[in-house]
Amino acid sequence: MSAQDPFSLTGKRILVTGASSGIGRQIAISCAQMGAQIIVSGRNVERLAATLAELDGAGHTQIAADLSHQEDIDRLAVEAGVVDGVAHVAGISKLAPFRLISRAQLDEQFSSNVFAPILLTKGLLAKKRIAQGGSILFVSALASHVGPLATGVYSASKAALLGAMRTLALEVVKQGIRANCIAPGYVRTPMLEGLNQGGGSIDEHAKLTPLGLGEPEDVAYAAVFYLSDASRWITRNYFIVDGGLTVPMDIYA
Amino acid sequence: MNNPAHKAFSLQAKTILVTGASSGLGRQIAITCAQRGARLVITGRDAVRLQETYDQLAGTGHVQVAADLTIAEDRDRLTQVATNIDGLVLCFGGQMLSPIRQLKEDLMTAMYRTHFLAPVMLTQRLLQAGSIAKQGSIVYMLSTSAHIGTRGVGPYSAMKSGLLGIIRCLAIELAPRKVRVNGISPSVVPTPQLWGKDDEHNEPLNKERARHPLGLGTPQDVANGAVYLLADASRWVTGTSLVMDGGAVL
Repeated sequence: MSAQDPFSLTGKRILVTGASSGIGRQIAISCAQMGAQIIVSGRNVERLAATLAELDGAGHTQIAADLSHQEDIDRLAVEAGVVDGVAHVAGISKLAPFRLISRAQLDEQFSSNVFAPILLTKGLLAKKRIAQGGSILFVSALASHVGPLATGVYSASKAALLGAMRTLALEVVKQGIRANCIAPGYVRTPMLEGLNQGGGSIDEHAKLTPLGLGEPEDVAYAAVFYLSDASRWITRNYFIVDGGLTVPMDIYA
Repeated sequence: MNNPAHKAFSLQAKTILVTGASSGLGRQIAITCAQRGARLVITGRDAVRLQETYDQLAGTGHVQVAADLTIAEDRDRLTQVATNIDGLVLCFGGQMLSPIRQLKEDLMTAMYRTHFLAPVMLTQRLLQAGSIAKQGSIVYMLSTSAHIGTRGVGPYSAMKSGLLGIIRCLAIELAPRKVRVNGISPSVVPTPQLWGKDDEHNEPLNKERARHPLGLGTPQDVANGAVYLLADASRWVTGTSLVMDGGAVL
């Protein structure tokens, strides 16, 4: 049924940022399994090459870029070519209690988590690199709604994507382009392991997840749905993939 | 194509029970699930129209049960047939509009029986009979009216919001068995049953179309959302509702 399968990504080119590890890496792998041609981007050339080597099918490319530099964003927007989907996954997370927040920390995390996806999208749109019917997906985080201890900067940065996505979706709808966010809960990734080493209440939250800790595949399959034509009627949407973590919380209060 | 991602979106070897399958969204969900390899148990009130759906199901081994799920005996009868269910999709037709000031008790009771009591008590019956398999998926057909306020839609909106409460609590109760519980909240999908003929004279429909940046949805769009929530691809999604609304703005 793959010819008419709305979940298939065959014939689509998809750019994945943050593809050298964790959720980004898995989105690249799963999208390739669904037939997409992938452009993987990330900072670390070796790890990027390792992701590339794991992709099913042919014609995938890698573009090393540090999206905290405008030159790299501009270069990526040019070198990526015309794409049918973009998964903005690159991001960083550093814990700091509010009274210790510095401007440098804000600059660093907002640069990676907010400015980079917004400016890369802008660059791609300005150069008409997102095809008609394309899908733009931002990987936010449930921290945006939950606000665990010491995540003030990170939570603020991930929440910012929601507002950006809503207005972006309205502006690009005339070209048939969609924009959405998915908000994952606690997923087994190098980022989560890093946070655990820095202390914090991550272990506690993982235990609170009714379906247990998530796997990168769980987020990747949600991304496949949002990047495929199966979700062609969904835009300006914020979708929670968290194993039920926030079900007992009123996150909109 | 038998890689992990393809398997995650397949419904091969799953049994899926769809209520309200005699027309509209329920019918399309049943047809689409069968195309993706599922074995279907379909139910609806109208035996003739249910047969029409049944005739459109690809594959073999499907079962149809004409039943009025507002009646306890009919729920029992369905439960005897519907064993070992991997996916349960609860669709119920029939929108009734009434401003609250003019609300009649009859209308409110009818809405409650069809849109709340029937899906909730069928779920209860299936759970009690042990019919929902481990790692199964339960999907309630909601509506954007579960989340937003619209003039005159109070009774319907209230029942759909009520199901959100069921979804959240049931998600917690069933998590130890890895059964997940979600909704789908579509905005306007012009099915003839509910909206009449979709042409230039259909003023309500054209008004709705104007406020949906991506236009109105199709039953196939909603069925694709259902496939995602029924397939193993969504095994870590629970207690939420998938909003499908073409980016609607008021």
